[in-house]
Amino acid sequence: MARRPARFLRWGRAIAGSALLAALVLSFYFPDSSWRFAQYFAKAQFGQILGAVVSLGSAASLALFLFYALLTKVWGRVFCSFLCPLGVAMELVGLLRQKARPLKFRRSPRSFWRALIPALALFLFLMGVTLPFGLLEPFSVFSSKSFWLDVPGLVLALALALAYFKGRAFCNCLCPVGLIFKILARKTRYRLEVGPQCPRCGRCEAACPCHCLDPGEGGVEYERCVLCLRCLKACPNGSLAFRRSAPAQSHSPSPALARASGSAPTSTPALASAFASAPASFPLARRSFLRQAALVAVAGAAIAAPELTRAQTILVPDETPILPPGALSLAHLNAHCSLCHGCVRVCPNGALRPATRGGISLIGKPVLDPYRGFCQYDCVRCAEICPTNALLGISVEMKHYWRIGLVHLRRKECIVVKNGTRCGACAELCPTGAARMEMGPSGREEPTLYRPLCIGCGACQKACPVRPVSPIWVVGRKYQDAMASRPIQNHGADIAMTEDFPF
Amino acid sequence: MKRRDFLKGCAGGALALGLGSPFGNIGAALAQEAPFPDLVAARGENLPRMFDAALTALGGLSRFIQKGQTVLVKPNMGWAVTPDKAANTNPELLSHIVKNALNVGASRVYVFDNTCDNWASSYRDSGLEAAAKDAGATVAPAHDSGSFQEVVNPGALYLKEVELHELYLEADVIINVPVLKHHGGAKMTAAMKNLMGVVWSRGSLHWSGLDESVPELLLYKKPTLNVVDAMRVMLTGGPRGRGDSQYLACRTLIASADAVACDSACAAIMASAGIAQPGYVFNASQRGLGVSDLATLNVQRLTV
Repeated sequence: MARRPARFLRWGRAIAGSALLAALVLSFYFPDSSWRFAQYFAKAQFGQILGAVVSLGSAASLALFLFYALLTKVWGRVFCSFLCPLGVAMELVGLLRQKARPLKFRRSPRSFWRALIPALALFLFLMGVTLPFGLLEPFSVFSSKSFWLDVPGLVLALALALAYFKGRAFCNCLCPVGLIFKILARKTRYRLEVGPQCPRCGRCEAACPCHCLDPGEGGVEYERCVLCLRCLKACPNGSLAFRRSAPAQSHSPSPALARASGSAPTSTPALASAFASAPASFPLARRSFLRQAALVAVAGAAIAAPELTRAQTILVPDETPILPPGALSLAHLNAHCSLCHGCVRVCPNGALRPATRGGISLIGKPVLDPYRGFCQYDCVRCAEICPTNALLGISVEMKHYWRIGLVHLRRKECIVVKNGTRCGACAELCPTGAARMEMGPSGREEPTLYRPLCIGCGACQKACPVRPVSPIWVVGRKYQDAMASRPIQNHGADIAMTEDFPF
Repeated sequence: MKRRDFLKGCAGGALALGLGSPFGNIGAALAQEAPFPDLVAARGENLPRMFDAALTALGGLSRFIQKGQTVLVKPNMGWAVTPDKAANTNPELLSHIVKNALNVGASRVYVFDNTCDNWASSYRDSGLEAAAKDAGATVAPAHDSGSFQEVVNPGALYLKEVELHELYLEADVIINVPVLKHHGGAKMTAAMKNLMGVVWSRGSLHWSGLDESVPELLLYKKPTLNVVDAMRVMLTGGPRGRGDSQYLACRTLIASADAVACDSACAAIMASAGIAQPGYVFNASQRGLGVSDLATLNVQRLTV
């Protein structure tokens, strides 16, 4: 193939990827005007829609999932350097590094160990323990807010540091989405291949941040390739190019390598080979030991996962936290939330934040803190942005009778009762009339609760001037539900004046 | 001796001019000019026309705004609800006032409110941000403590230090444009209570009691003109309004330089619909911040 299309591909990818990344960052910082962009971006993320796909949550997610699978089957891991925000960021870091002090990469052999961490994270995610997946899923790594001594920030720093010193190691060693793409990209319609007129200059190998390219014996190990296309730029005569795969040799190493290792690992079953065969230089006994160890690890995880799932429903905090509207229950949120914190970012009142307490299951999941802000009555942004269906998309109309918490009052600590102050801030903010000012035992109008009307938005707690502990507060519902009856609507005509000017 | 007497006389005269009238010196000067009414109430179907009629009776908007002055028009846009709920000031009225202020020579017109609901939603859903911008006003943010400055409130018993919005401090003319409605905490909200939207730490007003602290909002600076939108008055479920809120078809607009007099008239409207009187109106007049006894004022009633 000629060099012109290759250059166009490279620059096209770099510019489009950077533009998307910049737009995403902007929409994070200006959520009020542009949060819809973050919503569509999150919902287009392969790792995020997995949550919606495993629960058969939405047809659109399923269709998108199939589209990405097809795309990968045809072209390889197009997603990884184009739509993945972390991938694009790592490419930018790589670009900086290459400008400053170019790294020379060397092809590294295939290794089973690369698949271990992402496979475990993915497995636990499918079993309903989402914390490891959330810490490694690239969109979540990129977008999540700080919690727990800023673990997400550390993972992001690690990914970018790896990009600076080791190339795209994160994508092949830690990223659970990368693992799925790896499996899909084992056989593709088109692939990068070294042509016959290759001068064996080695420049492509030195440029490859995935360590998956060797113009000599190894060829291109396409499943590890994230299509950064640096090799295309490095190739002096265009002999490295996209070619239609020859069906028989689509994945097997070159005949020379097979001869050297003394075996032809072409008949490995799909799943086992997904974990990649052990390095070719290993003796046979050691390789089989590693395979057995992997099986033991997977089996161990399979046994441990239900226990962990059970543990995270037992380890509920003392007081049920207020979960965002649509989360249904702690168990539902736990099983689906990928910790992307899109909801935390778009909440107009800044009421949501990643939980910092409440056990391993709750940490990092979004909870509502009424002391920071309350849940706006006519807003369902968090439920709309959630890409994994951890928050079910409830409508604004439904939100008006969707109960996420219940109000409590320590009457004697209220300043109206205690000091005789005319306050009423809670009743002022309450959108449903669950807190009202009515004549009470104190002989004054004091906060009076109509708890069946409470939807748990926390406006009363936010408005109450008593600090640090408000005498009116909201406790989250263990199971969110809809009120038995809809809010009463007044459809009557306005009352007429008794006289024109009553003064 | 003569010179000293002269100086004493000057000082005394200035003091008398400054403190002699409950309205301050501007009010005193205006009172001597022409027999304008103290308070005008206009009934009708169209708020801009009612405003025009009321202002004509008060001697025109140019009586309150000099050429080149900066004007703050302070509506109630504290709630993220649509205009039909009557929880915020009517956007048509706000737009009309902004246009008129610019017509009589205001150099700039500002609009803001420290909202109760989320500020961006309130500015948008109330329709007031769009209305003010279209009319030519500058819509300022008030959701960040950086826009507010702490001042010492002279003569205050409760709000001794209060954080006021910098535009409220800077503006030459303040036109207070509240909506009259029921209020769960204070019983009623109109002119004086609307000034809570220029304060940053609203909690401190609740903490010291609304009846006591709301009048003190008039201590540092008084609005030049108050225009109360009482077109459709929320009688229950205020100040946010609920689905089951009841409304009074009041069709009234009240305008006066005296916020206390405005609130007194509003309280009379609420009382006619069976809503209890707020305590802060009486407290304000007791402290000499305005006149609540409408019988002693020149009140003009118009039907447009």
